[in-house]
This record gives sequence, C-alpha cells and structure tokens, in this order.
Amino acid sequence: MSPVIQFIDVSKRYNLGLTRASLPAIVTQWVKQALKKGRDSFNDRKYYWAVQNVSFNLEKGQSLALVGPNGAGKSTILKLLAKITNPTSGKVNVDGQLSALIELGAGFHPDLTGRENIFLNGTILGLTYKEIQKRYDEIVAFSEIEEFIDTPVKRYSSGMTVRLGFAVASCIEPDILLVDEVLAVGDASFRQKCIERIKKLLNNGTSLIFVSHDMGLVRAVCDRAIYIEHGQLQSIGTSGEIIDQYNQSLEKRRIEKMSLSDGEADVVEGGVEVTKVEMVNAEGRPISEMYGDESIEIRVNYTAYKDIGRSNAIVLIYRSDGLPCCNIRTHLDHFSMTIEKGHGEYSVRLDPLQLYGGMYYATTWMMNADDSAGIAYGTSEWFEVKNRAAGRPAHIAIYEPNRKWSQNKTIAAELPGAILKD
Amino acid sequence: MLTQAKQLLKTRDLVWAWTVRTLRGRYQQSALGWLWAIVQPVATVAIFAVVFTRIVPVDTGGVPYILFSYSAVVPWTLLSTSITDMAMSLVQNMNLVGKIYFPREALPIATLLARLADFGISFILLIILVIIFRIPVSFIGLLYLPIIFLIQLALILGLGIGSAALNVFYRDVDPLLKLIIQVWFYASPILYPISLVPEKWRWLYFLNPMAGILAAYRDVLIYNQLPGNYLLPSAIVSLLIFVVGYWFFKRVEFQFADII
Repeated sequence: MSPVIQFIDVSKRYNLGLTRASLPAIVTQWVKQALKKGRDSFNDRKYYWAVQNVSFNLEKGQSLALVGPNGAGKSTILKLLAKITNPTSGKVNVDGQLSALIELGAGFHPDLTGRENIFLNGTILGLTYKEIQKRYDEIVAFSEIEEFIDTPVKRYSSGMTVRLGFAVASCIEPDILLVDEVLAVGDASFRQKCIERIKKLLNNGTSLIFVSHDMGLVRAVCDRAIYIEHGQLQSIGTSGEIIDQYNQSLEKRRIEKMSLSDGEADVVEGGVEVTKVEMVNAEGRPISEMYGDESIEIRVNYTAYKDIGRSNAIVLIYRSDGLPCCNIRTHLDHFSMTIEKGHGEYSVRLDPLQLYGGMYYATTWMMNADDSAGIAYGTSEWFEVKNRAAGRPAHIAIYEPNRKWSQNKTIAAELPGAILKD
Repeated sequence: MLTQAKQLLKTRDLVWAWTVRTLRGRYQQSALGWLWAIVQPVATVAIFAVVFTRIVPVDTGGVPYILFSYSAVVPWTLLSTSITDMAMSLVQNMNLVGKIYFPREALPIATLLARLADFGISFILLIILVIIFRIPVSFIGLLYLPIIFLIQLALILGLGIGSAALNVFYRDVDPLLKLIIQVWFYASPILYPISLVPEKWRWLYFLNPMAGILAAYRDVLIYNQLPGNYLLPSAIVSLLIFVVGYWFFKRVEFQFADII
C-alpha cells in the first residue's frame, strides 16, 4: 500500500522583517549610504528556516501526531500539507481529498446566518452545494445550534462559532484530516464529542495528522508521533515514546529557566540524582491507574553521591494539558529532610488523591537547604485517574473534594396554599 | 490551462456562495438595499445633466443628454467599482487566504460577479430609458451587445485579477488604482462624444479600450448603428490585458499565503 502522505526532505524558508522595501525607505538608505558609505543593509536580509529537511510518510488510516514546543514548525508543516504554502525545497505528495481543521470558522461572514455560513464555509472547504445539502442535518445536529441557525453569526458566542466551524469541517469525511490545536477552544463535553468524531473518521479509513500540546489528547488519538524542534525532525516513534521525550525536553527547559532566574549559569551540581518517581497504592505497590478517592503515595528514590545535609523537596502534579494541579513543598509544610551519601527515598501521601479523571504525571525537585535552588529533578510515568461513574469525560473538572452531603429536614409549617395557586 | 478550467468549474459553487455573501454583506443592513445599484449612476447622471445641458452644452447628436451619459455611466460604473473591489478582494480576506487552501481566483471573480448584479439592475433601467425615449434599436445591433460585453469583461478580469495579486505585494495598488480610474474617466467618452476628439488623435484615443467599448455601447443602444472598426483595437488590448493579468496572478499565487 502506498502512503497517502509523502513528505520528502522538505524545507521552508521565511523572510523576516519587511517583505518589501518602500520607496521612502530606499531613498533613506541611499542618503545614508552616500553619507556614511556604510554597507548595504538590503543585502543582509534575515531568513528563517521554519522547517528543515523533514521527511515522513503516513499510510492510509494511520494517525500521526506532531509534537514539539511552540515555534517548532508544526503549523508550517500543516500549511505545507494543505497546499496553503509551497516548500522552498523538497517534495510534498498528498494523495486524496484533504480537509484541514486549522482555523475553525475562518470565512464565516458575521452578517450571514448560520445556515448561509454552513454553505459558504462548506464550499470554501471544497464541497459542492449538493454535498452540503446531503450533510446539512448532520452538521446542524452536531453543532447543537438548531434554534439559532437563522440568526446572523455575529450574534453567536465564540463557543457556538467554533462548534459550527468544527461541524462543517469534520462532516467532509476526507481522506486526510489535519487538526491543529483547534480543540483547545470549546467546553469539555464538546471536546469529547470532537474526539469521538475524529476517532470515528479514523475507523472509517481517514488518515490523521494531529497537532496539540495536550499530551493526553495525543495519546488518546494517535498511534505514532514525530518530535520536532527548531524546524528539524528529532525523532519518530510511538506516541508514548515521543510524549515522554517531549516532557523530558520541557522539563529540561524548565530547569534552565529556573537556574537562569536564580542568576546562575548552570543547574546547581547537587551531587544527587532522582532515580525513580512512582505512584504507589495503600499496599505499597506501584500503580499506574487509580480512582480519585483512593489513598496514594508519591514515592521518590534518589542516589546521593555525597552528604548534602539539610534539604527540601517539591512535588508537582501536572495534568496532560500541562495544567499544574498541585504544588507541595516540604519547606512550606515545615518538614525537614536530611540527605546523606547513598540511596534513599522520600514520599508524600495524598489521602485521598482527590484528582478528577484524566491523565497526569508527577514531578519532583530536590532543593537546597533554603529552598532557593534545585539540585535534582525527576519525573514519573503517566498515570491515569479514573472516574467512579463510567463514561464521564476527562478534563471536565480538576478535583473531587472529600465530601459529605446533607439535607436539613424542614419543619412542617402552615403555608397559605392560595398564594401558590395564583 | 485545461486542468485549471476544470478546477475552476469545480469551485463554481464556492464562487457562487462568495458572490451571494458579498451581495448580502453589502445590502443586508441597508434600507435601500439593491436600489443602491441604481442610485449611484442616476445621481452621477443627474449632476452631469445639469452641468452639460445648462452650463456647458454638449452636442450629443440629437439624443437626450440624460440617456447619452447614462448609457456610458452604467458600463463605466461596472468597470470602476469592480476593479477597485477586486483589487482588495485577496487582501481583505487575509485570514482565509493564509489559513485555508482554495483556488485563489474564486475571490476576485466572485467580487466581479457581485458587481455584475448591480450592472444588471442599472442596465435594466437603461433599457427602460431607451424605450421611454423611443430610440430605435436594430436587431443586428443587439447581437453586438454580448460581444461588447465580453470585451469589457476580459478587460475587467485582467485588470482586476492582476491588481488583486499585485496588491498582496504592494498596498500602493489600491490608491494608485483609484487615481488611474479618475484620470481614465476623463480619457473615456462619458461626458462628451468622440466627435470632440480631433481626428488626427483618434487612433491614439482608441488605444484606451474603454473608448471603443463605450462608443460601441452607445452606437448600438442610442444611435441605432453598428460599432465601427474602432472596436477591434479595444478587443485586442482588452484580451492582451486579460492574458497578462491572469498569467501574472497564476505566476505569483503560490506566494500569497507567505506574504499577505
């Protein structure tokens, strides 16, 4: 089977700065040159390589995530695939009808009604009137805006606009679907609906290229992923492998930032390293799945190569979309730690965990005596918090507090019935 | 060229939807609505009529001045409004051009179609005027109308599509175009008959394609005669402009998303 997408040694260069020199600017330049005999600044144009020598293939029905920090070139790759822009060198082969969820609702006209915009947007995406007519009911049902369908779009909330945009763009059932971070908008239940929609398309043979910073989504939707940084392909693998790599690089950056903000060039060489961060249950066994009302412990193993003495620790839990959910510090809890040469372990018990369903991971920092600089860092594997009530979507809430319901019994009172009747 | 025509055919629904969008957007929240299509040329003609019958009378060859100027103002308005609109059509929809792929010609062409709707309405009024003033019109003359119209369309398409593309690179195109159209207006037989142009300069005068086009409209609609040889240079120049404009558009369209 031949691949539906072939991305062969593709590079894309952008000009930085002014695209065109204006006449006044040129004249000023002449004058300057005449006076100073300086060098011609129009010759040292600045270029920027958004994508450099990237190659990959995508087979029919496969899903591939593009993972990397902001400005890595992910969106440029999508634009190249969508034929919005041409590569500077290399070849992009796309076989089949392609639909891009890049800018939902781009091309909506505010003065036109929802109905008119469905047709307008549909034709922009390459459908004919007949094809839109056939899918019209489905689009309206999916967007959940039946009652406002004859209202001008300018009166819609942003959520409604996005829902309508997604409904139109995803109803196409393309051979190839490009999704760029569009699910970040819209509420949790609609997001869930979109994910199900995308999965259904995948099952029907659509191939998917997916860009998101939400690693939970990437894991849920994609089999494979590529990691991109500075416009270059760093590695390619299963989405699990790539997500781990992405998180590691994020943490590396965080460390760099942290040491920079402390005014130091490097991470403090602490002579200690974190060897393992894991979640364990009440029986002390490592686990990767749990319920939010269970009691768990985050356990950290470390190896110290020298006596360090008084030190501190921080434990952070991040949700898959990068949201820090908790930040626990020994320093604030007045718990003192002493580290001596050798292997050791510290742990913190969360009783109960109280997180809402979703994918999370924990990180830990070992800190110096006055809690001002990090000396070692470690991160856990992903763990999944499940909801007791099956089928409830993730990300709809952050935490499940300990709770106790109650109801006060009302004291029977004489109420005049006449008031209620009127 | 053939595959391009095929692709354009495939996007005719998009062109149509965009035309409707443009018209709706233009007239939705206005009280007069499509009547604006007539108001503008009628107002222009009313002013001309006062100036050129009362103050500086112009020899129209026995035709009422109102009809004389309206017959040229209608096609002229089509040209001037559609070209300025088309020039802005890509730049005004940057977010679309930069984010979604679709055949880029669709935008300027739909913009032209929306102006054609206005032209249709004001042209109907022209026909009504011709009937009211009991101007005799020959059948063979009417057969010329579609030819004249096609020549004008080629001219507009070439200029409009070319300037839409050029405007992506240089925003000077829009003000420059307005300036050119202003000058062009006086260089075309709208206020005055061609007989005012000295005989020895006629050949040069008819290099302006609008001179031939407007003269032909007048010959057919109000002078009951067939267009003369002067239409040929207009046709050639218009076709040339169409080819160059379209060629330029196709040559640079792949850069639009990067520059816009």
